[in-house]
Amino acid sequence: MSIIPTIGMETHVELKTNSKMFCRCHVLDTESPNESLCPTCLGLPGSLPVPNKKAIEFITLLALSTNCSITNDGMFHRKNYFYPDLPKNYQISQFDLPVGIEGSLEIVVDGEFGTVEIERVHMEEDTGKSTHIGSGRIDSATSTHLDFNRAGIPLVEVVTKPLIKSSKEAVAYIEELRQLVIDLDISEGKLEKGNLRFDANISVAHEGDKELGTKVEIKNMNSLKSLEKAIEYEISRQTKMLIDKENIIQETRHWDEKKEVTSSMRSKEGSADYRYFSDPDIPNMILSNDFVNEVKKTIPELPSQKRKMFIETGLSIEDANNLGKNTKWIGDLYKSITEITGDSKSSFNWVTGELQGQLRKLEITHLPNWVTAKNLSEIIFLVKEDKISFTSGKEILANLIEQEIVPEQFAIENNLIQENNIEEISKIVEEVIEKNSEVLERIANGEEKLIGFLVGQIIKISNGQVNASVAKELLLKEISS
Amino acid sequence: MANYKLPISQINQLFKNKELKPSELYAETFERAAITESIIHGHLELFQEENLKKALNSDKRYEKGKNLGNLDGIPIAIKDNINISGYATTCSSKMLSNYISPYDATVITRLKNEGALFTGKTNLDEFAMGSSTENSAFGPTKNPWDTSRVPGGSSGGSAAVVSAGSAIASLGSDTGGSIRQPASFCGVVGFKPTYGTVSRFGLVAFASSLDQIGPITNHVEDARLIFNSMKGHDPSDATSLIESKAKQPKLKNAKIGIIKELMEDGISEDAKKEVHKVAKLLEAEGHEIVEVSLPLTKMSISIYYLIAPAECSANLSRFDGVRYGNRVSGSTSSEMMELTRANGFGPEVKKRILLGTYALSAGYYDAYYGQALKARSMMKKEFTDVYEDVDYLISPTTPSDPFKFGEKSDNQLEMYMSDLCTIPANLVGMPAISIPTGLSSQGLPLSVQIMSPSNTDNTLLDFSESLESLVAFSDKPVINGVVS
Amino acid sequence: MADKIDIKNVAKLASIKLNQEEEDRLESDLSMIIEHFDALSKMDLPDDKISIHPLGMSLNLAEDIASKSLTHKEALSNAPESKDGQFVVPPSLD
Repeated sequence: MSIIPTIGMETHVELKTNSKMFCRCHVLDTESPNESLCPTCLGLPGSLPVPNKKAIEFITLLALSTNCSITNDGMFHRKNYFYPDLPKNYQISQFDLPVGIEGSLEIVVDGEFGTVEIERVHMEEDTGKSTHIGSGRIDSATSTHLDFNRAGIPLVEVVTKPLIKSSKEAVAYIEELRQLVIDLDISEGKLEKGNLRFDANISVAHEGDKELGTKVEIKNMNSLKSLEKAIEYEISRQTKMLIDKENIIQETRHWDEKKEVTSSMRSKEGSADYRYFSDPDIPNMILSNDFVNEVKKTIPELPSQKRKMFIETGLSIEDANNLGKNTKWIGDLYKSITEITGDSKSSFNWVTGELQGQLRKLEITHLPNWVTAKNLSEIIFLVKEDKISFTSGKEILANLIEQEIVPEQFAIENNLIQENNIEEISKIVEEVIEKNSEVLERIANGEEKLIGFLVGQIIKISNGQVNASVAKELLLKEISS
Repeated sequence: MANYKLPISQINQLFKNKELKPSELYAETFERAAITESIIHGHLELFQEENLKKALNSDKRYEKGKNLGNLDGIPIAIKDNINISGYATTCSSKMLSNYISPYDATVITRLKNEGALFTGKTNLDEFAMGSSTENSAFGPTKNPWDTSRVPGGSSGGSAAVVSAGSAIASLGSDTGGSIRQPASFCGVVGFKPTYGTVSRFGLVAFASSLDQIGPITNHVEDARLIFNSMKGHDPSDATSLIESKAKQPKLKNAKIGIIKELMEDGISEDAKKEVHKVAKLLEAEGHEIVEVSLPLTKMSISIYYLIAPAECSANLSRFDGVRYGNRVSGSTSSEMMELTRANGFGPEVKKRILLGTYALSAGYYDAYYGQALKARSMMKKEFTDVYEDVDYLISPTTPSDPFKFGEKSDNQLEMYMSDLCTIPANLVGMPAISIPTGLSSQGLPLSVQIMSPSNTDNTLLDFSESLESLVAFSDKPVINGVVS
Repeated sequence: MADKIDIKNVAKLASIKLNQEEEDRLESDLSMIIEHFDALSKMDLPDDKISIHPLGMSLNLAEDIASKSLTHKEALSNAPESKDGQFVVPPSLD
């Protein structure tokens, strides 16, 4: 009987507002600690929270973009627990009346569509940053240093239903969510900067079991790679325990990047008593239908819509998905070129393969402004029509990146235009055959590698202007006759 | 009458007429402090040095005829749970004995803009939890009328200093009666505004949905003046009201309801007599007196002692020794926090935090806190219905005259019962004022409380002012043989 | 209704270390108060929409305009211990 894993993802998205969630301190990206603070985010006696309108707009945008129902009459709750990086020792969050509920997100796994069901989207505030000082291991620290710059930054928490079935699905989901918040322009979405943080809840059960197994929370996965590995590890750990009939404890485990294992955190087992109650400092948050409709109007092209559009141009689901997750101008360029050339495959290969490849090599991140869909299409047409070889096309592209040139003109000036005329090519083929009779004999005796040598000769004589594949074809015809 | 007992408007006139200078008035109140503080211990700190300079600046402004407002040059005492930048805000707690505030509460900013002087910070029950100021970590304040008795609480210091004359007026905070009850015990006026009319930004929170800052004064007109200088929307306080319209009660031929449930068991005969006395005076003026019943007021103590501790248990979580406060070290941060809080909080504070924590904890929420919220909603409705019929409500402010030190400290429920008459106004949010009306058989001050619907503050103050003249209570405490 | 109050657990949740005398006294005090709540806890009250606020006021959200408040020095001015501009506490595990 097989064992089925179940995964639920909890993701925190840092919003890119100007000011914090409950105060007007700057949201700073700085190394300098404790620079952006006020009585409210520092938790001084007598301070009060006032929610940020932009943050509410952003979360509503996210909730709508994930097909959630919006809670028109919601509230903020206090989540009570003690920890040094939490200035008030309660976090202002949302409990049973989150902004968005019951949504979904389309994802792509292994080139196929899938859906992740979203349970809720709610608003909360971030904590400060702890740095443990000591011998380097978390459990032998001698002190902890605290920087509260981050305390109070708006966070949106997105919780999926526990219906994800594999590590691949989880990774695809995070990638999709990240792209969504970037496209909505509500978050920078950089994992390495902590703009997007995620925990996974994992359980296993025998196939056919009505109930889910004991849920274990995994924290401290800092990249998609860690996410994948951590889930795999945990599934296998729990599977083994299930088979051996060992008791799986409900707990929080920490992913150890170096050892590549999950390990128990020292804290309590079971679930904490957060004593949620509605925050008396903040009246009910009424999101009127007018407000929601105004936000709806600002929804831009979503990743799923972009993907659909790319598929309609002729790309596979996988390619369309990857293109959408690329930097925006790449997708836009592909679209424009495809409109001109009508050839999605070539356009895709040229943009994501050749162009991106060359730019990467040169360490250029932005497309020079003279490189346009028009002149790139020109190169593509030249190659498609066999006027130049593929290699010549790459050469023209390299030059185009460096300076403003007209591709066809460049090709002519640099003798890149191919000879495609069969008669003309035949003449050169004959010439080469005549001059290389010994080589021909050796080919006849089985040294087929030397065909390449002869093709090379043909290209040399023609100054590279012969259509190499045609030449080879003709050569082979001659040889076999 | 001594200058420091005159109404602020009259003092202001003296300033304008150059018959008195702000620096002279300040010297008078400071002299009163010199005489009375060692006896009553109302102030925790006096801002003498700063005030000498400020008073002189105020003098100059009046000389030029350019005073900032009606409060320019008026010395006001501030309860030590209200933040003043650059000064300690201790909340009368060991936890914050070394805490210097880096910001001003909004009410302080507004009073500063009017040119008011702050005599200093006054004593309170620790973190505003108590009804006698016996819970202060820095020693109790004594009632100027009888130093063997409590001044009331939690704003005991604020009430005592106004009564003793070392401040013209003071600010207190009121969560379940903490302005009105000490005002009553000290024979002065205490006003709790409609919830949301005065900003709470900078008031160290006890119970967020109940707390309000308000004035304690010698005269109702002073309370009105100070209230109007402080009130108004504050963008830093999400519970701060934007100007709100309400049907105003009548000033002439009004209908006044005596709350039946607050004239029954637990209320002293003296206190009941005051209400009847005042009722007769009002009737003679053409007002109608009726009896009204508000059954849920009997549940007030239970509702309050669930909501307030629950909110305070979270509000006081921030006191952990991490970013400020008197830290007690530990081997881990959680040990440090547990020891810091054990050492920094007094017994009453600990009790209320634990009570609140318990009421909110898993399994108990619905039966206790959840029930209290529902009952509170129902109580609001009860009052709204009654106000359809009457303009004002009247009751004693406190069940009795001021009690002796230690008299109620062993009986927690009896102590909590001191708030019986005052709690409803906080639960419902309506404005309430306490006015001294007479002396008990022991010669101690007694007061009567008037309440009106939410957002009728100035009308309530007007009505109370006319009641004040009718009552003409002019007794003053005698300290060291000197009448205050 | 009232079970015996697990005062140790409540104190842990509230992060206050109590000595034995305090535990005993508080358990007894709290039990007495809770008993007083019995009448309230038994009342049959309707499940209407509850506003925690006395006046059921509406929420005014703030515009997203940032401004500077405390200086770095002010922020650390009451710190019991600080180093390199950060607040210092004994090691926080978990």
